[in-house]
Amino acid sequence: MATVIINGKTSSVKDGTLILDAARDAGVEIPTFCYQADLMGVGSCRMCLVEIEGQKKLQPSCITPVMDGMSIQTETPQILKARQGVLEFFLSNHALDCPVCDKGGECELQDMVYKHGPVEGRYAESKHRFHEKDYILSPVIVKNSNRCVQCLRCVRVCDEVVGRNVLASLGRGHEQEETSFLRSRLDCDHCGNCIEVCPVGCFMRLPYRYKSRPWDLKGTDTICPYCATGCRMVVEERDGEALRARAQIGVGINSETLCARGRFGFDFINDPRRLTTPLVKKFGKLEPATWSEALDFISEKLSGIEGERIGGLASPVLTNEELYSFQKLMRSTLGSPNIDSSTRWDPVVVENYIAASAMTSGGLSVFDAAEADTLFVAGTQLSDENPIVDYIARRISAERGTRIIVASVRDMKLDSSAGLSIRHLPGGLGALMKAAALSLYESKKDKLQGFAGVERFEGLSADVLLGEAGVSSDELAAITKRFETSATVALTAGTDLLRQSCGILALGLLSDVLKALGKEVLILPILDRANQRGAWEMGVLPGLAPGYRTASKRGLGTKEMIEAAAAGGIDAMYVIGEDPVGENPSGVSAFDALSKLSFILVQDTFLTDTAAMADCVLPGAFPAEKDGTFTNQEGRVQAMRRLKAPPGDARAYLAIIASVSGVLSSTTGVCTKTNSMQVFNEIRKEAPAYAGVSLEFNNRKNKLNKLDNREALAGASEGGFTPVAMTSCAPAAEQRGEGEFYLITGNTLFHSGRLSHSSPTLTGLQKGAALELSEADASALGLSSGEEARVQGNDYEVTLPVRLRKGMRDGVVYIPEFFPGVSVERFFTTGVSLPVVKVKKS
Amino acid sequence: MEKILLKNIDKPESHKIESYIKNGGYNAVREALKLGPDDIIQRVKDSGIRGRGGAGFPTGLKWSFIPKDPTLDKYLCCNADEGEPGTFKDRAIMDNDPHLLLEGMMITSYAIGAAVGYIYIRGEFEFGAKRLEAAIDEAYREGYLGKNIFGSEFSLDMYVHRGAGAYICGEETALLESLEGGRGQPRKKPPFPALAGLYGKPTVINNVETLACVPAIIEKGVEWFKSTGTEKSPGPKIFGVSGHVKKPGLYELPMGTTLRELIYEHCGGMRSDKPLKAVIPGGVSAPLLVPEDLDTTMDFEAMGAKGTMLGSGAVIVMEEGTCMVKVAYITNRFFSHESCGKCTPCREGTIWITKILKRLEEDRGRPGDIDLLEELCGNIFGRTFCPLGDGAVMALRGAITHFRDEFLNHAAHKGCTA
Repeated sequence: MATVIINGKTSSVKDGTLILDAARDAGVEIPTFCYQADLMGVGSCRMCLVEIEGQKKLQPSCITPVMDGMSIQTETPQILKARQGVLEFFLSNHALDCPVCDKGGECELQDMVYKHGPVEGRYAESKHRFHEKDYILSPVIVKNSNRCVQCLRCVRVCDEVVGRNVLASLGRGHEQEETSFLRSRLDCDHCGNCIEVCPVGCFMRLPYRYKSRPWDLKGTDTICPYCATGCRMVVEERDGEALRARAQIGVGINSETLCARGRFGFDFINDPRRLTTPLVKKFGKLEPATWSEALDFISEKLSGIEGERIGGLASPVLTNEELYSFQKLMRSTLGSPNIDSSTRWDPVVVENYIAASAMTSGGLSVFDAAEADTLFVAGTQLSDENPIVDYIARRISAERGTRIIVASVRDMKLDSSAGLSIRHLPGGLGALMKAAALSLYESKKDKLQGFAGVERFEGLSADVLLGEAGVSSDELAAITKRFETSATVALTAGTDLLRQSCGILALGLLSDVLKALGKEVLILPILDRANQRGAWEMGVLPGLAPGYRTASKRGLGTKEMIEAAAAGGIDAMYVIGEDPVGENPSGVSAFDALSKLSFILVQDTFLTDTAAMADCVLPGAFPAEKDGTFTNQEGRVQAMRRLKAPPGDARAYLAIIASVSGVLSSTTGVCTKTNSMQVFNEIRKEAPAYAGVSLEFNNRKNKLNKLDNREALAGASEGGFTPVAMTSCAPAAEQRGEGEFYLITGNTLFHSGRLSHSSPTLTGLQKGAALELSEADASALGLSSGEEARVQGNDYEVTLPVRLRKGMRDGVVYIPEFFPGVSVERFFTTGVSLPVVKVKKS
Repeated sequence: MEKILLKNIDKPESHKIESYIKNGGYNAVREALKLGPDDIIQRVKDSGIRGRGGAGFPTGLKWSFIPKDPTLDKYLCCNADEGEPGTFKDRAIMDNDPHLLLEGMMITSYAIGAAVGYIYIRGEFEFGAKRLEAAIDEAYREGYLGKNIFGSEFSLDMYVHRGAGAYICGEETALLESLEGGRGQPRKKPPFPALAGLYGKPTVINNVETLACVPAIIEKGVEWFKSTGTEKSPGPKIFGVSGHVKKPGLYELPMGTTLRELIYEHCGGMRSDKPLKAVIPGGVSAPLLVPEDLDTTMDFEAMGAKGTMLGSGAVIVMEEGTCMVKVAYITNRFFSHESCGKCTPCREGTIWITKILKRLEEDRGRPGDIDLLEELCGNIFGRTFCPLGDGAVMALRGAITHFRDEFLNHAAHKGCTA
């Protein structure tokens, strides 16, 4: 600890604390431009100069650490004059076009000059102009360098956090301009973090351009609805139109960062095609109806159907309260055990995944995982699917020296921060982790006498496993060496494990071996739907009740429900926010299957394929149009607030569920609560892991930028459950023949799920799906970038443009999930996790 | 006085290794290898030699900051980015006696435990870079560089790196940044290069002339070195004289030679026998001196006491009739052009000053311009990230102090009264 005297007041701070932080701790505000928490200090703007007793020159407080006994002054006449001087210099070549600048009203330069600046300008020379007109740097970023204050936050965030290095300084001295090479976009992620960190109107969002003034915007705290990272953001509207989403420094695990989906993807909320009124099928056609007509219709239709002959499916992008109420409605009011929250994952695999990734033992902070000695990123295309986790890993590994190992089929951005990148075969992750576990076990056999579950090694051979994984023994040795020399190991459990269930057992084995070797093992689930973990914890699974308790009666999962519908096993389905017909996850045609049902009730925001064939459609609300909580992949429970009313007669799902429940059961009325806080209090009782969770922090700006609000992490679940044993681990891929390829799928940087396709901005960034394959494979097929290829397999065929990808394994092709017109799920056969497809030049 | 720095430059084929050896070259390094690193550092410390690049930091002290840990990689960087206007001393050594520099670097590397030495040479010095590269090739050929030099345990590799034309890269941390392939901008200090320099490793950065003095200190001894120069600034110094003198050029003289002796004896007096108007004693960053100051001795202390600095020893002599506003304008135009852009006061301030001076020079002054200039100087001085901005301000302040009337006349549209 060091004792410092700031403006005469003595305080005690940790050694190495920057003067700026020590002053802020002591309640003394020092103005800054180039300083940004979490970025490397540069000390270049000279706004934060302070006087240190015994030092002749003023010193920059943002890069000078305190020394014991240091006496610091921050408000002397000399300092005030220096601040004025710096601000006068900033203004000398600043465009001063505030009346037409989007930043006007929330500009740090404006605020600073208002507070500290000279009242009169003395600069009477010509101003330097970089360009006459603003120029477009990316489809979402527009640039005006004439306003730049050269703080380089944009360049540093692009380099240190995003890891793209698109931006740099060109030119020298007053001609220095922060832009991309040749002002082109190169491999920009279009994340707009440069906009967020820019203190002035130099980087601006193109979709928001000239739309509003900050003081005309009304905003509220919400959570990004795309992936399960759980980024906090503020969505702002004007006259009922959501205009922008932004992150706030010091709020949420993401702090000021977001990805392209989060920052620009929120415009789906303004889509004119949204449902605004209930629809009821009359004479084979959906017609607008009032809420009471619709509810009467539902009551009439559903009350005649036996509970067990009803299937329920809810989207993992609903809030905890909605999901909890829905499962309660299904199980208690309707008496149906058939409930699921995904069209993609098999419930048995999900149960095993939950157990293997230790989700029952409560939340795990992503910061703990990133601060482990080794972070093993596997089973996920992290940089595309969960970009903010990629940012956190990159930033923390640079700061603390976390060793990152990336194991994936395709290359990813995080490779540049990883000490070791392994490209394994599709479906080979399980074999790779087993090989690592086996190698660790064999080398320390003497120490691991009595290792529980040693029979799991029976029949395993390193050579066979390495062959299945497509990984060399040198690479394996490099992995195990890193594990051996680490005290804490963090393993990510990505969604590929849900696709290729072999990996789940291997994850358990590897984690057990590492623990037996005395290492602390942290398993971080990486999921791709905003409230997937919440959906499971709320019991929206056929085998699990809220709080990971075994359900009293096991019901059907999504695929089984569709098969049952086809076979006449169920009569009705209640679907919220999912589109089984559009996604068609089953071997049988979901359309044909659902056609046989006597009643389909859909709650959604758009008229999806499923809604179009429903008997009754109820219009719902998006996040920012409702209150509620999401549980992110870490197990962090976070609240979001309602910003505006949903369009027309649409209502929040929670209110709809309550209404439906009300008309179905006059006696019990079990889930008629419409206030999300009341439902959450009930959840606290039903799922004890949530009992101690604090929702407090979420809307409070954290001054010290401590992003990790551990009080929001869910606790351990009591009792626990035993997952249903997986009958067999999905078989290894069938051998592929000539002209055949393994097919893998997943999300892209700009699209995940259906939602993003309703966002004009994200569709502008990436419209259609493309087939990705390695350069060698493409040239063997005579294909070049942009040309079309025909992909065939499993009685399905699709024609797609080709995109060449460096760092992709040969023999593998990738098609993204959930693109309109491309049902990649159709290539997957039940029970075969790794399909083989034929690719031909079209 | 016996020359040590410029002794070879007029000899035929002086840049060749044969010529250098014939004139007693590479004996000092042989001797040094027998002494051991600590002994060499002690001798250099005892000699009192101060850095010839401009700052005058004691060289031996700088070397002694390098950690002794043998497992750490260490580097020696020769700062050959001679960019200060008026300075051309290092160039003469590199062009004509490159082996003197190499020998100095070999001894230094051995003393600090560096296995790699870099010569960061100013981009414009293409000829010098070629000469150095040829000299390094010769040294490798003779086995003076590479593995196990002179049969000892000592190994050294040496590389020439050409700059890309930025004055700021003469600042040691910007030099390192540029050498690593980054943008030539200064780094924050601390950490100082002695602890975390090139690639984050302990690094010594010395000027060409400093390193060229090292062989003589080893060979001729500490006492010999201290016998020339002043007590606190010992040894010989190369003065590069330019401007309105009869014989401009390089003069190797003892530290502490007076300006008068330098100009009127060694350089043969003023060019057209007009009276002297002003002298810039140490490169354009150094505030100028006037005729009354001619008896000041050229050493770090005396120059400091006069409010200026010895700098690189680049003396620019100006005769009566020289327009000081134009001098100030040209000087500041250089600084604003060379400002790296990192910190606000230097980036925005120097260009502002330059624009004002340009107006003054073109007789488009405004009332209050001179006061504004002085205020701007105050807002730059001591507020910048590195000394570049300070240098610009010091030069301008000196000119305004001594020639205020000339500036006022320009501001009042009275034309040049010089």
